[in-house]
Amino acid sequence: MKTTTKVTAYTNPSSGLNPLRIITWQKGAWIVCCLMLFAVPLLITKNSYLFLLTNIFIWSVFAMSYNLLLGFTGIISFGHAMFFGIGAYSLALTARHVPGGEVGFILAILATVVICFVLSLIVGLLSLRLRDTFYALITLAVATIFVIIAEQWRSMTMGNDGFNFTASLSRDLFGFINLLDRRHVYYIALIFLIGMFLLLKRFIDSPVGRTLQAIRDNEARAASLGYAVLNYKLISNILAGVMAGLAGVVYAISIRFVSPDSVLGVENTIDVLLMTVIGGVGTLLGPIIGAAVVEVSSHYLMGLANIHPIFERWVILFGVVFILIILFFPAGIVGTIKQKFLSKKKGVSS
Amino acid sequence: MELHLTLIFNGLATGMLIFLLAAGLSLIFGLMSVLNFAHGALFMFGAYMGTWVYILIGGWNSPWGNLNFFVGMIAAALIGVVLGYLVERFTVRQVYGNHLRQILITTGVMLVVAELVKVFWGPNLIRVVQPEFLQGHFLVGDVRLTYYRVFIILFSTMILILLLFMLKKSKIGVVVRAGVENSQMVQALGINIRKVFTLVFIFGTMLACIGGYMWGPFQGQVNPGMGLDLMLIAFIVVAIGGLGSVAGSAIAAVLVGLSEAYMAYYFPPGSLAVNMLIMAAVLLIKPTGLLGAGR
Repeated sequence: MKTTTKVTAYTNPSSGLNPLRIITWQKGAWIVCCLMLFAVPLLITKNSYLFLLTNIFIWSVFAMSYNLLLGFTGIISFGHAMFFGIGAYSLALTARHVPGGEVGFILAILATVVICFVLSLIVGLLSLRLRDTFYALITLAVATIFVIIAEQWRSMTMGNDGFNFTASLSRDLFGFINLLDRRHVYYIALIFLIGMFLLLKRFIDSPVGRTLQAIRDNEARAASLGYAVLNYKLISNILAGVMAGLAGVVYAISIRFVSPDSVLGVENTIDVLLMTVIGGVGTLLGPIIGAAVVEVSSHYLMGLANIHPIFERWVILFGVVFILIILFFPAGIVGTIKQKFLSKKKGVSS
Repeated sequence: MELHLTLIFNGLATGMLIFLLAAGLSLIFGLMSVLNFAHGALFMFGAYMGTWVYILIGGWNSPWGNLNFFVGMIAAALIGVVLGYLVERFTVRQVYGNHLRQILITTGVMLVVAELVKVFWGPNLIRVVQPEFLQGHFLVGDVRLTYYRVFIILFSTMILILLLFMLKKSKIGVVVRAGVENSQMVQALGINIRKVFTLVFIFGTMLACIGGYMWGPFQGQVNPGMGLDLMLIAFIVVAIGGLGSVAGSAIAAVLVGLSEAYMAYYFPPGSLAVNMLIMAAVLLIKPTGLLGAGR
């Protein structure tokens, strides 16, 4: 999974003087894309499509946080869904038990951030100093313990059945957000995605992010240059954990239901792993494309189950595609396109 | 006292079954540092294949029930060899030397194999019973010993002794042990370590498939969730025992089996947590595991 880090040339300082030149065509395209996404609820009134798009946004954030580990730090986690699940359960439990929408909502976010921060710190401290493969093993074990807790603590979590909390969602959060209106949830998810994307971009381009990628590419060299490798890995671990937890909070708002299988189980980690690898490991845009591909195709493949029962086993298709991508296109969709595009450009200039 | 003896006996049986799963995993990991996430799914596939053959040719009720059981076991072993070769040849070998991609690709194999089980045999559990000569129990003092568990302990101990003997005495065993210590050195001496690795992978998968098949009558059923649950325990065993050490895996498997048996009696939901604690304690004191190579 070695992707070559390219040293991007920063914008020419002289162009900073002209305000119009700051907006390059790339930035313009981004802004147009965002505006189009903001306009979607005005054009599409069918709730099921809005629901699908909302879930794509949320899973994108989840996959982006996973990519921070897999793509930018070079460690593979099999327990990332525990953060997602903790976020989802925090929101569900506060919605059910804490009266007054705003208090519960803020409490859920605070609880998620604090728990995910502490948990990822502890798991990271325990496992990151061991050899790299142990990280996968230990995260898997810790996540399984969380699944068992959610299954056994029936008085709090309703066990395996999970629970629905549609009735206790606030209709006028902070006076203007109706959590039962699909369009409002859509905007929450979209703004959440854009915010997290910008945050992650800032982080990746920051000195810490650059060091992280250096560690990924050659850990021994980074260590001998004097970087505290463990601390950098811990930072990325914590950021990824908290991001996944927040994605879980928004996901719970969207699906209005939590159960160990739907938010906490290992299947969720594998889903997000599929999204990241299919979209493109180590690219910023990859997880979003991957989430869209996986969500849309699983949505339609599940619909095909009425035609032939083989489509109930659609996971097998993803498994085969996943293996083929790792074998032949290790950079994923976005990475492969980028490589093609860059090599073409290089050919012209030389 | 009887209680503890019974629990120890049950723990031994569980532990020795887990050992069958963990031995291959440990050697695969030790030789090439491949964390094989497909191992649990292969274990499950072997269990289903063997059970299917066992039931197809008459199962436990026919007059040939005793023989049928062993035919099923051979079927499980054969499918283990075939699957082991296919998985190694077409996926693991392709990404040799890259840990991250190895974990990813074996995860993909796990997805495909686990879903294939559901395609072939459906998502529901299949009931399976031990053959006639292994049914029932006998008493030693006040302790009830089930014949099937005695059989599991004897069979797995035989495999363990065979494995240790092969590793100690045969040429290929020497190469495997040397490869676990330092695979580059072995290659420098002109031995094709990848061929040895293919053999070890096939052998490990075969052991896992046999273990899966024997797990069926032990639990009274095979189900599509068994792979992932047991794989996690096998990983813990490998980490405790030390990478690449068969004897270490055996000790760790018995340890984990005993803790499973005791926790199943006193507080079932906590068994994984206890195993985790044992693993954390061992790794903190000795990061290479109980009998792992000093690397």
